[in-house]
Amino acid sequence: MLKFTRNKLVSIYKKGQDRLLAHGILEDDIYGLEVNVAISINRLEILSIEGKWKRAENVECPRAIPFLQEAVGFRMGEGFPQKVRKIIGRKACRQFADIILECCDAAQMAAHVIRWETEKEKRPALSFDDFLSNERGEPTGPPEGFSISREQRPKPKREGAPAKEREKGAGGTIIDLHVHTSPASPCSSVTVEEIIQEAKRIGLDGVCLTDHNHVWDPAEVADLRRKHNLLILRGNEITTDQGDMVVFGLDKEIKGIVKLEDLREEVSKAKGFMIVAHPFRGFLTFGIGKLGLTLEKAMERPLFRLVDAVEVMNSKVTEKENRFAAKVAKGLGLPATGGSDAHEISEVGIYATQFSHVIKDENDLIEALRTGEFSPMAFRKEGRKRSREYESAT
Amino acid sequence: MADILYFCRNRCISVEQIDEQSMRSSCRLQDTLTDALVEVIVKIPDLEVIEVSGEIRRSTGEQEINVVEALRKVIGIRVGPGMKKIIRGLIGNSKTEKELGFMVEECCDGIILTFTKDVLLHAPKDKLKEREYFKNMVRSNPRLYNSCAALAPGSPLVEGIKPPR
Repeated sequence: MLKFTRNKLVSIYKKGQDRLLAHGILEDDIYGLEVNVAISINRLEILSIEGKWKRAENVECPRAIPFLQEAVGFRMGEGFPQKVRKIIGRKACRQFADIILECCDAAQMAAHVIRWETEKEKRPALSFDDFLSNERGEPTGPPEGFSISREQRPKPKREGAPAKEREKGAGGTIIDLHVHTSPASPCSSVTVEEIIQEAKRIGLDGVCLTDHNHVWDPAEVADLRRKHNLLILRGNEITTDQGDMVVFGLDKEIKGIVKLEDLREEVSKAKGFMIVAHPFRGFLTFGIGKLGLTLEKAMERPLFRLVDAVEVMNSKVTEKENRFAAKVAKGLGLPATGGSDAHEISEVGIYATQFSHVIKDENDLIEALRTGEFSPMAFRKEGRKRSREYESAT
Repeated sequence: MADILYFCRNRCISVEQIDEQSMRSSCRLQDTLTDALVEVIVKIPDLEVIEVSGEIRRSTGEQEINVVEALRKVIGIRVGPGMKKIIRGLIGNSKTEKELGFMVEECCDGIILTFTKDVLLHAPKDKLKEREYFKNMVRSNPRLYNSCAALAPGSPLVEGIKPPR
């Protein structure tokens, strides 16, 4: 027996010289909705939208309707789906964004059909395939799969004494191991300068710049460190087929999505360190009980055999998800870290990692991570004290 | 004059429970230019994709791609947040690969909506109790706050709930 069905129906017809009308219906077990979207053929621009609910998730869903007008004027092309998902999906409703995108995609196909028919009047033998390949040109570029650039940045020279001989500072070093800056991470709304100012203001000893698939120039980071007199370290958040990983000591630029096994190999070759970021993000939306995800089952995930540590305090996930990650890390005997995952200024330092040793550079950081002498902490909440939150969670 | 259609699309996603440990989700696309099918099998409770299959029965233009090979790249990923970026990155960027990737996403969305449906089936019929039910959902998952018009500030469903930090 089917547990769920969704049907989306889109019909496109022409109304006037430069106007397509798209009628879209989305009907599934939960939602029932309809849209009429008028689109300019030449400019591929949304001219008008009407939408209505037939069935909705809750009584407040009709609040979505007025926000549909915000898509009027949007033009199809680079970034269009993201814009619709962001504006309509978040301000109105994801289901409306979904059917509007389906209508617009179908309208683009219809525009091809219309242009082909016009062209065929001049060249009756022109097939649709030939027309399309002329219109699109040759396929462009390789897919955005896993690729590691051949250019390798120089590795920072090893400095200082072995970790065990290193100075143990009073209270050690507290670092936010996971922050995102703009424009290096397009999803972040805060510049590196703002992150640094905020980190200093709240009393962090340092921050790690872990922008998505972005390798910071060591010279630029060294300049920032000197200018602001704050420990600023380089890291990288890399998306793998098994989720996001925060890595340190890997200077290769990684583009696209990488297989976790391949990333592990690269990190090991570079003698770096890899932390699985927010491993249970969103996973508990329906409650552990609903899916029956037990601690034991979670601990069996192969990804935990490939990482050096687990991020168990991250400000982008629920406390329940953080607690669950902490239990998994403890059960597997894996070290646990904390990082804010800040994308906004107010998020810097919500969580951090407290190291027993004084850390002065990236090599110190990697060595300290290898010793396992660190613990995650709710820095904004608890200040420089040892984290009660983590201890009580596990 | 009749408004004859220039283009028509029908996309159907259906989810079934195969047994206690697995669910199958399929997406069938039929439109003026394309006819394609993608099937995804996920393991419960991890929601890990353990099998994917598909075929393109009719399409236009573009180079041939190996559908099975393209789809196999998503085996091992898990249904959940961030999956769309992973699927798109793994499957590829040609027009056909993008469509196949989108169909995999649709299958995965179907799985999530199946669980959403189960949650909604337990929502109380009484309006006041329903409001409290949704409030509790937002409380236990703060990411839902301001995630759509119904859960935006000003809506009774989030009344009294502190915005997440």
